[in-house]
Amino acid sequence: MTLFLIRRFAQALFVVFAVTLIVSWAVRLSGDPAVMLTQGAGSVTEQDLANIRLALGLDRPFHVQYLGFLKGLFAGDLGNSFMGGTPVTVLIAKALPATLILAVSALLVSIVLAIPLGIRAAVKRGGAEDQVIRIVSLAGLSFPNFWLALMMVLVFSILLKWLPPSGWDGPTSLILPALTAGVINTAANVRLVRTAMLETLSAQYIMVARAKGLAERVVLYKHALRNSAIPLITYVGIQFGGLVAGLVVIERVFNWPGMGSLALDAVSGRDYPVLQGVVTVFAVLIVGVNLAVDIVYGLVDPRIRTE
Amino acid sequence: MLSRIGRLSSAVLAAALVGTAAPALAGGTLTVAQALDPGSWDPIDTFLVDWSKVANNVYDGLIQRGPDMKLVPGLATSWKVSDDGLKIRFELRKGVTFHNGEAFDAEAVKFTFERLLGAEGAKGPQQSNYNAIERIEVIDPYTIDMVLKKPDPVLPTKLAGYGAMIVPPKYVAEKGDAWFNTHPVGTGPFMLDAYEPKVGIKLKANPNFWGGKPKLDGVDFRFIAEPGTEVAELQAGRLDIATLIPLSQIETIKGQQNLDVMSVPGPTVVVLRFNTKNGVTKDENVRKALIMAVDRETIVKEILLGQAKPIVSFQSEVSFGHDPELKPLPFDPAGAKKLLAAAKVAPGTAVQLDIRGNDATFREVAQAVAGYLQGVGLKPTVKPYEVSVLLNDIIPNGKTGEMFHTAWGGWTFDFDNTAYLMYHTGEKWNPYDSDPKLDALLEKQRSITDQAERLKLLREVGAYVANRALELPLYNLNTFVGINKRVKGFVLPGDNRYRFTDVSVD
Amino acid sequence: MRASRFSLRRFLALELVLGGFLLAVMIGGVLASGWLFPDGGEAMDLKARLLPPFVRAAHPLGTDPLGRDVLSRVVTGGWISLTVGFWSVLGAASFGTLVGLVAGYYRGLAETLLMRFADVQLALPFILLAITFAAIVGSSLPLMIVLMIVSQWVQYARVVRGSVLSLREREFVQAARAFGLPDPRILFLHVLPNAFGPVLILMTLNVANNILLESSLTFLGLGVDPLVPSWGGMLADGRTYMQTAWWITVFPGLAIMMTVLGLNLVGDWLRDNLDPTAKVP
Repeated sequence: MTLFLIRRFAQALFVVFAVTLIVSWAVRLSGDPAVMLTQGAGSVTEQDLANIRLALGLDRPFHVQYLGFLKGLFAGDLGNSFMGGTPVTVLIAKALPATLILAVSALLVSIVLAIPLGIRAAVKRGGAEDQVIRIVSLAGLSFPNFWLALMMVLVFSILLKWLPPSGWDGPTSLILPALTAGVINTAANVRLVRTAMLETLSAQYIMVARAKGLAERVVLYKHALRNSAIPLITYVGIQFGGLVAGLVVIERVFNWPGMGSLALDAVSGRDYPVLQGVVTVFAVLIVGVNLAVDIVYGLVDPRIRTE
Repeated sequence: MLSRIGRLSSAVLAAALVGTAAPALAGGTLTVAQALDPGSWDPIDTFLVDWSKVANNVYDGLIQRGPDMKLVPGLATSWKVSDDGLKIRFELRKGVTFHNGEAFDAEAVKFTFERLLGAEGAKGPQQSNYNAIERIEVIDPYTIDMVLKKPDPVLPTKLAGYGAMIVPPKYVAEKGDAWFNTHPVGTGPFMLDAYEPKVGIKLKANPNFWGGKPKLDGVDFRFIAEPGTEVAELQAGRLDIATLIPLSQIETIKGQQNLDVMSVPGPTVVVLRFNTKNGVTKDENVRKALIMAVDRETIVKEILLGQAKPIVSFQSEVSFGHDPELKPLPFDPAGAKKLLAAAKVAPGTAVQLDIRGNDATFREVAQAVAGYLQGVGLKPTVKPYEVSVLLNDIIPNGKTGEMFHTAWGGWTFDFDNTAYLMYHTGEKWNPYDSDPKLDALLEKQRSITDQAERLKLLREVGAYVANRALELPLYNLNTFVGINKRVKGFVLPGDNRYRFTDVSVD
Repeated sequence: MRASRFSLRRFLALELVLGGFLLAVMIGGVLASGWLFPDGGEAMDLKARLLPPFVRAAHPLGTDPLGRDVLSRVVTGGWISLTVGFWSVLGAASFGTLVGLVAGYYRGLAETLLMRFADVQLALPFILLAITFAAIVGSSLPLMIVLMIVSQWVQYARVVRGSVLSLREREFVQAARAFGLPDPRILFLHVLPNAFGPVLILMTLNVANNILLESSLTFLGLGVDPLVPSWGGMLADGRTYMQTAWWITVFPGLAIMMTVLGLNLVGDWLRDNLDPTAKVP
């Protein structure tokens, strides 16, 4: 088990390293921040641009800039934003908790909805109930997230005036974005739970458990759910990355001060340090969750770790 | 993390007590939304209008420009330009202090401009705009001379904004530039209360403001990038002024009893420029045909709902250089077809329009233009680009299609800046054309300070460009904001640089 | 028992009929759009903008802000959406499944390499990747499809590998190996069919997902030529009209929903018939 863990950690480190390299390289192809900063200014000369590049450290070759970034990374310093010079760590320290709260809330919403619905659908397979559950959960997935988000705002903030349409003014602000992101993910999870449960329910040991006269509830939630957990866990792990990235759009609609908004601003402003920082933290987060998933995976199904 | 949770739970209590969506507008605080956080509030660091919306309340320049676009005294009570145009003498206002208590005097002015024109200013985008200034000479504590390298007829206007805002020397020297970026101190009617990057900035009234204490207790700026979200916040009563609203929602806002839309002529002019080097638009007659094919009056009326005015040259009516005598090519599809046929442009010829992808209004306008081009038998396509790619790569490097979207918001309201950057050979915004006659005109008007002569030259530029059909002139867009009717005494400046000294809320 | 099995059989058929019907209508409409609406939904009339639906016979679903017919745009708009959905999913599923099979079955270095690569992929947020690359090469339909493939094949690879990991220990695979069957044969005839259920589910979800992603990218200012109608583009561009002209976004929204629902119903039916173990309820 220890060896397994060490190996997985090494792999995780490699992934983070690769991601930072790709992003640092790609973002530098996408445009010159000096030109961005002087956009709209009067007659800007090549000398003015060179001065700005010099001040931002962009005159150095790529490998020097990247090594500088790595060095800073180990010291916990992600550099300063090109826009205003605020340390990237300060920006992220504010944005990350906002995004995590939103992501975890959304995940909770979707799992809490999906497990009972998925199991119910699997048990009543082919029945009217199954059909209704599937159609309703699919309806949640059938609209683009920004459209759903705008609809939520329209109904709950503008028409009913129950909830604030955007910003972060306490837990009431969390409800709409979390619900939007959660509902979108629910459909996928319902389907997943249902499929996994169907497979499990057809397995021999479930029939044995039933034949032994165990209560249906125990059969479903204890035996069947546990064995349906692998695909679910895998998918939640995969989903987390997608979820956090998908929050980019939802954060924007709800003006949520999270990582997505930060990244979007950074991309459009060619704010290299902020983008590098955000993506690195995303990568650590996603890799971390996947690592955790793999470890749990190894615990649930020992065959995977003992090779 | 913990403190956030703590804050959340106290907010729960607050929300439970007053009901949901409790308006944070009690007392005398004005809440304003704008799209962007400039990141730094240092005057030498930015060129964003969104910087100015906030900072115009914090800082003063030597000269000020009111909502009517007239130049009035600011921190200088009077100024006089020497006859050769190479020196401006300023008499400074006495008894003014910065928000930190530091006194304002000639040394502050000297420091400000030395910083702007020195090494610190070189790191930012502002310096290039003030390159005409050579040095500041202190005559006495309340008199300075600004010595120029070359005459700059637009300089007084430039002194009323952005990089020329006066900063406190001791404060900047003591605290350093990094601190100053996020803790601005000026002499304006409002001072920093709290700045939360990417979320908002709160200002409070400066009781010692030289122009009298503001009526408001404070102004709360929030950064909201999505126009629909700003409107939703306005509708929910959580905003007093929404500065980024989609045209299509103007009626929605007006329809709500407590809300209104304010609209004034703005600085933004919009054109579709032509690729004069390659493709069918190389031919002047084809360009004229394309202009004649598009019914700009209808576009302004139907799509822009009257929130714009058609233009003839690349400037608004209030711009210095505007020529009321200059007449546009008429909307004449039949004539356009004839011109196209004469130029041997076959029906079904492809014409590509490159546009900014994030501009919802212009997406509609571009599609309408395309519709009119279809009407004369062409096959238009619209290609949306990410803004910075379009502005920094596609246009400057001459990779556009036949036509490309250019919106210009020259805040100086002087045609010089726009015209020079758009038409002078070798400028970033002029990748295709090179016209010695135009170059000569542009250079000549820059070298003189006789404003009547300049006006004549600038009008000549406008007429010459229209005659060569270098662009398809579209319209001058209004500046408009959504506003809650509880706001009193707010005059919307066309350039969106607000000053809330005389504003109050019910 | 007999009665319930009977009704189940009938239901399965209904699932196929309904799903097939929806898909036939949507895809049929899209295929016939060139014949039904020769103008491709591009004809505009600024004097007839924002007409509500069910008022004029010429515009049964009303008109958009440029006076274009919403019905013809919705029908024609399927082209882009279905093209994006179909090619991106086909590409991602084939590649991802292959990688997953090889990695899960052979394990060792192949698995490590491919899965690390997959991890890197998963750790790169798609939207940011898309914006960055659109900034470098300009946004276009092929770019969108390629980016979707690049970012989604991993899902298939991981799910297939997950199934293969447990399948390769199963009796029938062990038996096939013991008989000395060649690996490709084992993989494609024995392992793949059993791992196919989750892949099909992912595929159906992703066709829908990618149609939606196209609209998200348009929302963020990317996307393709707004003259060419697409469902996502219509939703994104119509969003500021939600309060005043609901029909602009509701009809393309319905088109998306019907297509997605059709795909899912058929996908489920396929799954039931492809996945032998689920036949024993």
